Amino acid sequence: MTRYDATRLIVDLAGDAAIVASLGHPAYDLFAAGDRPRNFYTWGSMGVATSIGLGLALARPSARVIVLDGDGSLLMNLGSLATIGLLQPANLAVVVMDNEEYATTGGQPTPTAHGADLAAAARAMRIASAVTVRTEEELRAAMAGVARRLRAEGASASLAVARPDLERAEAGDFQPSVTAGPVVIVAKVDESSPIAKPPIDYVAMKERFMAALGTPHSALRNPQ
Amino acid sequence: MSHKPPVWASGVCAGIHAIGSRDVVYVPDNPLSYVLRVFESEYREVRLILATREEEAFGIAAGLYLGGRRPTVMCQSSGIGNSLNAITSLLVPYEIPLLMVVSWRGDDAGEWNAAQRPMGQAVRAIFDAIGVAHATIPSPDAALDTVRRVGETAFRTNTLGACLLPRAMTTVTAS
Ligand SMILES: Cc1ncc(C[n+]2csc(CCOP(=O)(O)OP(=O)(O)O)c2C)c(N)n1
Ligand SMILES: [Mg+2]
Repeated sequence: MTRYDATRLIVDLAGDAAIVASLGHPAYDLFAAGDRPRNFYTWGSMGVATSIGLGLALARPSARVIVLDGDGSLLMNLGSLATIGLLQPANLAVVVMDNEEYATTGGQPTPTAHGADLAAAARAMRIASAVTVRTEEELRAAMAGVARRLRAEGASASLAVARPDLERAEAGDFQPSVTAGPVVIVAKVDESSPIAKPPIDYVAMKERFMAALGTPHSALRNPQ
Repeated sequence: MSHKPPVWASGVCAGIHAIGSRDVVYVPDNPLSYVLRVFESEYREVRLILATREEEAFGIAAGLYLGGRRPTVMCQSSGIGNSLNAITSLLVPYEIPLLMVVSWRGDDAGEWNAAQRPMGQAVRAIFDAIGVAHATIPSPDAALDTVRRVGETAFRTNTLGACLLPRAMTTVTAS
């Protein structure tokens, strides 16, 4: 599974979820796989994408938030897993595009290339639903697990997983143990050359994102 | 037993509350414990969010803003050093506003810790260099108004505003 394959699958399953992408290749692939107003592309702040997703999940408990992080980026802000473990936001799913390298800067291997286990780190920080997936089927099943759980919890909307996919996942032997609370999915991906980049008009992208979520920035300027 | 909170701490909380901020993301510092106690006892509707590192706090605050909140970040001046990349490569270019309340170590008011001096001496110049408006709270009585003014300006203009809490003010009560 390439990162692009994984990204496309997630966009397909995302429904109306907000997606926050980490700088570099994860953000480029999100744009290429499916630009949509509910995408937020970071162009800097390496390591902070998961924290942005956490803040958004806290602000909007009935919205669903997916973060597309990178392995190198998450390693720069591992403490964010402890905060997520502490707060247990049930509407947050962090997908780590673990290509075991800093692909954007030339492919230097990260510690995950030598066995560092980000899903184990997440579990150690009290994120019970943390799994590593290696194939599209496993990723689909893990995402379906998120959807199933959100439905069971009566979240306002579930991840829009197509019914056949859900059934296939439920019939398959890959069953991530999904419990209430946040989810971390470490997707082992092959590097694939990005084919497009999101616009660098940061403020416009932000305003589009906020408008899509129903929080136009103008309302925040002058509350009431 | 509940002692009366220091005037400056009550003022900081009232100012944060007055601008409609209901989420305070923080990394602890001694003086800030007074502020946290006032929030816990008098403003139950304000959510206090502990971060493991200040840069993380700024990321969480950015997400809160994108989700429609008016967040505050509270930290020690050394924590601004931990946060510069998130401030300069996320908050500034995306014009994501927030209020910072910064307990100031390393100023000229009897600092004993050499590890606090360089950042404490530099923090205002750093704010100037990266375009963060800042005000030093001049007296306990001025805390409410300073915080409200800086915060309201930040959120109305989509910019960043910081209030520095000088040690001379906070150490009267923080032993
Ligand atoms: C603070 C900071 N350090 C380093 C960089 C340079 N940089 C940009 S992207 C990147 C690699 C990110 O790696 P990862 O999150 O694993 O994503 P990948 O590129 O592998 O998809 C690095 C090191 C940066 N932009 N900011
Ligand atoms: Mg990587």
